[in-house]
Amino acid sequence: MSQSPLDRLLGNDDPDPGCDAGLEVIDQYCEAIRRGEDAAGRFPAFAAHIHNCTACREDTEALLAALDGL
Amino acid sequence: MQSVLRDLDSTRWVHELRASGAVHEAAAARLHDLLLRVARSEAARRRSTLPDRGLEELDDLCAQAAGDATMAVIAKLGDFRGEARFTTWACKFVIFEISTRLRRHAWRHRWVETDETVWERLPDQRRSALDSIQDQEIFGALDRAIGQDLTGRQRLVFRAAVLDEVPIDVLAERLGSSRGAVYKTLHDARRKLRHALAAQGYGVKAS
Repeated sequence: MSQSPLDRLLGNDDPDPGCDAGLEVIDQYCEAIRRGEDAAGRFPAFAAHIHNCTACREDTEALLAALDGL
Repeated sequence: MQSVLRDLDSTRWVHELRASGAVHEAAAARLHDLLLRVARSEAARRRSTLPDRGLEELDDLCAQAAGDATMAVIAKLGDFRGEARFTTWACKFVIFEISTRLRRHAWRHRWVETDETVWERLPDQRRSALDSIQDQEIFGALDRAIGQDLTGRQRLVFRAAVLDEVPIDVLAERLGSSRGAVYKTLHDARRKLRHALAAQGYGVKAS
């Protein structure tokens, strides 16, 4: 996900529920991606969060990799 | 919210984990094996990000993560609503556990600033910290906003998490806090800075 320097520093302005709320839906988000669905459209708040939060973005990538190995 | 239909495999997992005796023990052992395999796979995937001198400890971290995640899954079984497959739902717990451990492991010998006065004490470092901003006007406005609009805690978290790229769960550990709380501080700091730049007409979106 490429970001401008200012975007990287300040994040985006979309509603962002934070890490704890993100953990509630990360499994559904990843399954939606693997089904080829519009995951960001279904979970816009989570999509905004992983744009802003490096740790949760890495965890999403990790869960997607895990799903490929199940 | 009550649940959607569960697939047969998920139904079996939940049924067996809720059982008692040998059925529960066997299901818990299968779950632990699955989560340990996922933890090891993730550790291998991130191996290039880890320092060489800590590699021999990776399997211990995987075992700890799988053990904690197995207990978390069993404790939270009542929260499983079938909105994802059981194995996906369970894997998110071990991903959280192993990711946090791997990030902390990678940073364990690295200094993390936890003094809230760092922004004022080390003015020379501010330029290098913000050097990705090429526009000198925005650079100046952002530097002023960090100094004037943020609290000491917000300056510390913004500097560490964004400018020094310290992972927030590493920062949370050093500050005796949680990932969610540190992220909230960072989120509030960024919102203040967006508002400050927007108020000065720099075309930054701020609601």
